[in-house]
Amino acid sequence: MKAVLQRLLCPVLALLALGGAQAATIPPGVQLHPTQTLIRNDGSEPETLDPALGESVGAHNVIRELFEGLTANDAAGQIVPGVAESWKQTNATTWVFKLRANAKWSNGDPITADDVVYGIRRFIDPKTASTYAATFGTFLLNGADAAKGAKPVSEIGVKALDKLTLEVKTPYPVPFLPALMSNNNLGPVHKATVEKYGKDWTKPGKMVGNGAYVLKEWEVNNRIVIEKNPQYWDAANVQLTRVTHLPIEDGYADVKLYESGQNEWVLQLPPSTYEKYKAQYPKDIRNMLILGLRYYSFQTQSPVFKDVRVRKALSMVIDRDILAQKVTADGQAPAYDIGIKGLDGMDVQPYDWAAWPMERRVAEAKKLLAEAGVKPGAKFVFSYNTSEYHKKMAVFAASEWKSKLGLDIETESMEFKVLLKKRHDGTFQMARNGWLADYNDATSFLALIRCDSDQNNNFNCNRKAEALIEEGLKQSDPAKRKALLNQASRLIMDDYPIIPLLQYSLPRLVKPYVGGYSLENLQDRYRSKDLYIIKH
Amino acid sequence: MWTYTLRRLLVTLPTVLAVITVCYLLLHATPGGPFDNERNVSAAVLANLQAKYHLDKPLWQQYLYYLNNLLHGDLGASFRYADWSVNELVAKALPVSLAIGGVSMLLSVFIGVAVGIGAALRQNSRFDHALMLVSNIGSVVPSFVIGPVLILVFAIGLHWLPAGGWNDFEPRYLVLPVALLSFINVATIGRVMRGSLIEVLHSNFIRTARAKGLPRRVVVLRHALKPALLPVVSVLGPLAISSITAALVAETVFSLPGLGRLIVNGAGNRDYTLVLGLVVLITVLAVSVNLLVDLAYAWLDPKIRY
Amino acid sequence: MKLLKPFQNDALVAELGAAPALPEGRSLWADARRRFGRNHAARASVVVLLLVGLACAVGPWLSPHAFDSADWGGMNLPPTWANGHWWGTDDAGRDLLVRCLIGGRVSLTVGLLATLASVSLGIVWGATAGFIGGRVDALMMRVVDMMYAIPYLLIAILLVTLLGRDFHLVVLTITAFSWMDMARVVRGQTLGLRAKEFIEAARAMGVSTPRIIAGHIVPNLLGMVVIYTTVTVPGVILTESVLSFLGLGIQEPMTSWGVLIHDGASVMEVSPWLLLFPAGLLSLALYCFNFIGDGLRDALDPKDR
Repeated sequence: MKAVLQRLLCPVLALLALGGAQAATIPPGVQLHPTQTLIRNDGSEPETLDPALGESVGAHNVIRELFEGLTANDAAGQIVPGVAESWKQTNATTWVFKLRANAKWSNGDPITADDVVYGIRRFIDPKTASTYAATFGTFLLNGADAAKGAKPVSEIGVKALDKLTLEVKTPYPVPFLPALMSNNNLGPVHKATVEKYGKDWTKPGKMVGNGAYVLKEWEVNNRIVIEKNPQYWDAANVQLTRVTHLPIEDGYADVKLYESGQNEWVLQLPPSTYEKYKAQYPKDIRNMLILGLRYYSFQTQSPVFKDVRVRKALSMVIDRDILAQKVTADGQAPAYDIGIKGLDGMDVQPYDWAAWPMERRVAEAKKLLAEAGVKPGAKFVFSYNTSEYHKKMAVFAASEWKSKLGLDIETESMEFKVLLKKRHDGTFQMARNGWLADYNDATSFLALIRCDSDQNNNFNCNRKAEALIEEGLKQSDPAKRKALLNQASRLIMDDYPIIPLLQYSLPRLVKPYVGGYSLENLQDRYRSKDLYIIKH
Repeated sequence: MWTYTLRRLLVTLPTVLAVITVCYLLLHATPGGPFDNERNVSAAVLANLQAKYHLDKPLWQQYLYYLNNLLHGDLGASFRYADWSVNELVAKALPVSLAIGGVSMLLSVFIGVAVGIGAALRQNSRFDHALMLVSNIGSVVPSFVIGPVLILVFAIGLHWLPAGGWNDFEPRYLVLPVALLSFINVATIGRVMRGSLIEVLHSNFIRTARAKGLPRRVVVLRHALKPALLPVVSVLGPLAISSITAALVAETVFSLPGLGRLIVNGAGNRDYTLVLGLVVLITVLAVSVNLLVDLAYAWLDPKIRY
Repeated sequence: MKLLKPFQNDALVAELGAAPALPEGRSLWADARRRFGRNHAARASVVVLLLVGLACAVGPWLSPHAFDSADWGGMNLPPTWANGHWWGTDDAGRDLLVRCLIGGRVSLTVGLLATLASVSLGIVWGATAGFIGGRVDALMMRVVDMMYAIPYLLIAILLVTLLGRDFHLVVLTITAFSWMDMARVVRGQTLGLRAKEFIEAARAMGVSTPRIIAGHIVPNLLGMVVIYTTVTVPGVILTESVLSFLGLGIQEPMTSWGVLIHDGASVMEVSPWLLLFPAGLLSLALYCFNFIGDGLRDALDPKDR
């Protein structure tokens, strides 16, 4: 609801928004602690701090502090003005962004529209070899072709109309373009620094960014320290003066550092610990559903899974309620569709059998298997990458299939890269899979089940649905668009290319004195500029 | 002795080359490449990534290219940590691992030798059994249990020490990791020392020394210790190397930015240059440590000649 | 010619009875067995180890629970007498006792097989290198250096992908990285023995090199080898757990002590029994190996009277 409203009013609101303070909004009566510092864990060492090349959550969490795109996600995950103070959609496929006059780089240089053009061109340029170039580039005019190398980057639909005005053209209506521009990959980059230092430009002392913070220290596998950027246009409202980002991968180590006082923000609680920490630290526990889906892919072209009845049967008998409440027990929600709660542009359309009692589902599944000629004792192989969490889910799934359908399930765990290769090459029968939204729109998830999509590991393709999707993407009317996408999604999902299981949640521990942590931030994009330390 | 040392050092070069070649072939034969990611990339981007890192050339060409860089002291660029060169990464991680591994080795040698001597002198007594029971905890309880227990007790329970992390050689952060590694090393050193000293104490020349009426202390420390140390020294080599390069559990449990994390992340991400660079480093380390051990043999037992 | 006959005074013999039989010669191995028997800790350890081995081999058949039957209603139950889960259940509701015993089968088998293989390889390698010396020694030890330098994770991944995942593969992989320590220790000892007089004597008598190595060097190494073998077994079993954790070893639902301990260590604050029982079992077994090893070393030491 909120999202639909936002989409309809966005152009109007954007005109009205005058780039006022969006940083830490401190509720009245809250007293601040004299030292405003924070230590938070991102879960992995960034592979780079170059905004064009960042891929992982860990990298983007830090990049988001040091750089700012045309728009940004605020504490509640809403799209707010960033470097651009306002924007309007002049026609179905053209947007005009107005940059702030007082936006500066960390070395004092003013930010111009040319910087944004440079940043976008550099990002999509195949020579830069960014893995997101096609994902985001496809929404800009000639972006997809430029990412392939078929057209020069100068033809990408971004143009600087004057020093502070940027025009963006899209190949078809993209209603969520402002949301898209919050990604730092599409943000401005300081050309002179990149040209002067080459690969080294992201190091402390050399980097020039336009975010709320500057890079002070970067010790690989140890910590990244950032300090408040005095040149930032909203510096007056930034409370935290110094933030330390930790790259701890092991969930248990993460929590141990939290308990010893060396960490104030756990990235994600390790499996089987949620109930315990909820009871032990009731004021610290934070959890909410986010835009992510856990699912299992079928290799729909493999002989064992060619029959849709087999796929349907396997999907039906898994008790997702037990999976959510007992097995994972960390606040995730059962999922019966590719659409998930909070996702814009598509409805959640669970399968009809989701409401049936389990006995009925099992009976129906057995019938389907018999019709498909699959006898009890038939063998299936399930592949997943080694991790406590995935193992637990796999053990559960295997036991469901075994006990309810009498099937012989072989589970094989493997190293992550090996699983990726298997999924990519199609040398699997069933594989564990998961996806977190890159931007809040249905297309981010439809990519998992569409024809010819890089992200489709299931080797399924429904041309009719594809045509519906393409038709839907051309629509300017959001209601029509949603209807078409819903229809297409229904068509594909009724073919059972995947087994949707759970919607991701984000169980974590954050010190109670950290203010500004909103439970509505569905993409887990928390800028330190929105946070503050309460007196404690 | 010096010609021997020189010859050994010269042999380092072909050894390093052989190891690099084997690892190089292994890396490229292992399924999955550095650019296989959760988000599949288009063919054009993949082609560019491979061109950027010279992965599109035939294997032998890449190999020669790598060797050429190596001769100039350039270990190449990392894939996994794309903003850093392998030289920079190794230069940052090596001192951490050296500090922890080195301090642990020193501590373990002192404690292990002392424990071994104490147990050997009271062979088969209750003291012997008790001492061995305690010192062997490190070889009988896995490191990924000892580590978290140490953290639970000293960091979270008593708040005496940090639960992990690293802050420029600040001693507080060294204590628990060194303790963990020492538990493990003391177990091996203690047992080997005990066994070896018992054997030596039964030899004829010790009997002679005792018959001469020399006090026990002199007999043990001046006469028995040196030959008894021989097997202990053999063990020190591999222990030192693994303390420095393979302390992965310690590094994970205590969140230390050392070599073990780099190697496993590198291998897991098929970061060819990073892994090869670390392999070069470890080979040089292994060869040097083993050379020192072999020289120590000669010093301890004058009958050993090369 | 009479002088060559043993002296026998018939009268004396008649008075005293026949000459007492000469005491039966005792072999060195019998000596060793006797000394081992006198070591209480070692004797007790053998008994305990056999009991553990027996439990692991036979126990699972006697238990009403299967090691892989998940019970999602009874997850993480603490040990109780009443519901039949004497050691509690794990986070999938599987009986811990049965899983520990099944895990013991895997760990002990892998431990013994891999240790046997790597010790044999290490002894042959080290003794040969140490005894022959010179360039052969240098070459063989450089190969050892090489093996140390290659990260075992890499080899393990490659072996698994090329050859498929197999119990024997785990043994092979662990062996590949455990023989070098033994080789170095044995080489060191051989260098010391080589210079001793009895080896010189054997050489002077014309005994061939392999026979010297097999018949003279190796038996004298046994003390050190035995100690180091019992140091290797825990290492091998623990290496197996790391491999399994990385997805390169024993596959679910099969389990091993290493895997059980690793899983238990993560939740030791919530369900301590999941750690204590398998860790206790492992520690018990390994302590037994240690005491047996020390006992064997003491027993086999030719100078220990």
